[in-house]
Amino acid sequence: MIADFIRILRAADIQVSPAEAIDAAAVIEEMGIGERRLLKHALGHTLAKTQFEKQSFDECFDIYFKPPEMDMGEATPTSQSGDAEAPEPDAQSQDSAGDATDASDADEADSEEGDAQEGQTGDQPGDPTGEAKKSSKKSGEPDSDKNGEDEGEAERASLVDMLSQKDSAALQAAISEAAQKVGLADAKLFTQQGMFSRRIMESMGLSQLDAHVRQLEDKGESDKADGLREGRRQLFEAVFDFVERQIAMRTKNAGRLLREDALSRIRLSNLDRSDMKIMRGLIQRLAKRLASRHSRQRKKSRRGMLDIRRTMRRNVAYDGNLFELSWRRTKVERPKLLVLCDVSGSVAAVSQFFLMFLYSLDEVMPKTRSFVFSNRAGEISDMMREGDMDQVMEKALREFGGGSTDYGMSMMDFAEATLDTIDHRTTVMILGDARSNYGDPGHLVLKEMHERARRVIWLNPEGESSWGTGDSEMKRLGAYCTHTQVCNSVKHVERVLDDLLRLST
Amino acid sequence: MTEMKNQAQDAIETILAGYEKLGYISDEQIATALFLAQKLEKPLLVEGPPGVGKTELAKATAEYLGLDMIRLQCYEGLDESKALYEWQYGKQLLYTQVLKEKLGDLMQGTTSLDESMEKLNNFEDVFFSEQFLQTRPLLQALQNEDGAVLLIDEIDKSDDEFEAFLLEILSDYQISIPELGTVKAKKAPLVFLTSNNTREIGDALKRRCLHLYIPFPDAPRENAILQARVPELNQQLRDNIVNFVQAVRQMDLKKPPAVSETIDWARTVVLLNMSVLDADFIRNTLNVLLKFRSDIENVEGEIARLMRETQLTPDTPIQ
Repeated sequence: MIADFIRILRAADIQVSPAEAIDAAAVIEEMGIGERRLLKHALGHTLAKTQFEKQSFDECFDIYFKPPEMDMGEATPTSQSGDAEAPEPDAQSQDSAGDATDASDADEADSEEGDAQEGQTGDQPGDPTGEAKKSSKKSGEPDSDKNGEDEGEAERASLVDMLSQKDSAALQAAISEAAQKVGLADAKLFTQQGMFSRRIMESMGLSQLDAHVRQLEDKGESDKADGLREGRRQLFEAVFDFVERQIAMRTKNAGRLLREDALSRIRLSNLDRSDMKIMRGLIQRLAKRLASRHSRQRKKSRRGMLDIRRTMRRNVAYDGNLFELSWRRTKVERPKLLVLCDVSGSVAAVSQFFLMFLYSLDEVMPKTRSFVFSNRAGEISDMMREGDMDQVMEKALREFGGGSTDYGMSMMDFAEATLDTIDHRTTVMILGDARSNYGDPGHLVLKEMHERARRVIWLNPEGESSWGTGDSEMKRLGAYCTHTQVCNSVKHVERVLDDLLRLST
Repeated sequence: MTEMKNQAQDAIETILAGYEKLGYISDEQIATALFLAQKLEKPLLVEGPPGVGKTELAKATAEYLGLDMIRLQCYEGLDESKALYEWQYGKQLLYTQVLKEKLGDLMQGTTSLDESMEKLNNFEDVFFSEQFLQTRPLLQALQNEDGAVLLIDEIDKSDDEFEAFLLEILSDYQISIPELGTVKAKKAPLVFLTSNNTREIGDALKRRCLHLYIPFPDAPRENAILQARVPELNQQLRDNIVNFVQAVRQMDLKKPPAVSETIDWARTVVLLNMSVLDADFIRNTLNVLLKFRSDIENVEGEIARLMRETQLTPDTPIQ
């Protein structure tokens, strides 16, 4: 049961390692499973390790451990056709949710042990299909009076008994158990809902029930038969509902994951407005991953090598006795990045995401300055650090977008603002389609930057085949770049930045 | 089963009551986490916004259990020589200087090089003995006879390497010192790690810990905290303060006021001998509650509204 619950958690994007699963088992041992609320807290502490995970965990816990709803009304103490002694009107089957929940939590756990004893299936009343019942349930007591003694054991009673006694607690337990048996945990699609509901019902002994109803009818006790039919209908509804919830829970995230994967490959210019939100989350996560990978490398300072020269010099004061040691360290530089992005027309979408990604990486690349241009270039670094992405982009578009692209002018602006700061540690990145409207592409300025900078990288959202066609000056500009690359999806952006970070360490 | 359940529940209730006596108002979540941390001997990673009492929790625990509290404040660049142990290099050197003179005496009677090397070899072990070992918080915690409460504060401020280095200590409560061998805890210390989430903590570390998130308290709990911390305050004012702070927290602020700020504010009220919360007083003391200029400006404009919402009439004082 724990294993299955953990699978659900994993499906809901909560990372649970095997070791944590073991911890969870230990926790359950420690806490017992009686107190639902405490157990929830305790498992929460053990399994969910971020605030986000806590939330999903709470949801999952509530759904998973919410038993199938069997609202059979008050238990009717009138005994039916001598099937069983009427149990004392049991407290559990009152449809108070909290009560029933606790009870069947326990039952669910019990049923695991119960599986082991499954071999000794007893006789069942009114059961024509001798073979089928083996798979159905562990009917311990043949319509016995023991039934009344112990409510916890009620799950072993036959479906007929349970229905006629309207014993919801036992029915709930039976449903969960049957679900386990037919492998509901493997259900992936909503279309399987009907099939699984059917299978669960079968496993609970549907055929026996039907046979029993027929028998009753033959005997002419039609009102009892009707009662059972009604019960059967309710049961079916409950099972159907239960299966639906279970499947929904298991597939909740599958769709989203699929969507995200597709989105990360899609051309950014083709992105739908409605996907923006998912996109933003995706970028943030990718950026976080990248940042953590590279922040580790950044601090690689070598320890253990004695810097003899400096040590000697420092210890002259101590008569040459080496009191103070000094160690040799390598300092790892953070990349100094200058970015120039085209925000005109078709390139704007790519630029936006590129910048978004870039600023999510602020932690590892704090020295980034960025510029946007269409006909003139302007700096937006400060805006980016403070404001909301959408606003910034909008503002930038208003201020610098609009006019027709002028590479020559923009390059000049860019160079004027930055050329003095470009040195051998600087990486210059330019994102644009290099379509200059047959004007000056600014290659001479680029040449100058190329000479000063560590490297110049040009990212072009157009496919390589269209470089150099029409008014594209990619060929001419590419000559002054260390590296040119196609870049039009989030995957590309991630790769580019990853490479950049790796190169600079 | 039922017996076990009762035990756990009892224990948790005992913890709740025990902490309350020490002036730390916890809730069931926190108590459950504490109970598990003790039972499973696992470190407890406490997260939450600044000022909700993460550090305080560790202090209260130490007091509750009657153990020493050893605190290690993390910062960027913290390494094992500051966290665990260090050889007292200077002292070692001084000893050698002193012994230099005796070297002649010592070497007397040795005839061959081998022999003298052997004699010196015996010495070396003396130099790398506990005598020259400067213990730092982590090692102290392991060596404490009765166990201890070890607080590793603001783990998110440390580097990744340090985090990795903590793994051995946190999972097995032991540490390897190359020159001495492995030091194992005499009694596993109860470890608290706190984090303000300025940086994502590594999965490996998280995996080894229980995780407790302490959010801002709700009104009743905050009220109880104030009662425990600032008992001089009367009921009426306490309610007012709590309601007001809770309302301020609803606003979009850079840094919403935490419990510690509420306590400070309550103390201010006591100190200035206020009998009512009026708009002027609130305006003048907002800087106790809020720590950013822009936040203060934001709230200042809203004081009247906030007071109305919290049933504090701005003009007519409440008796």
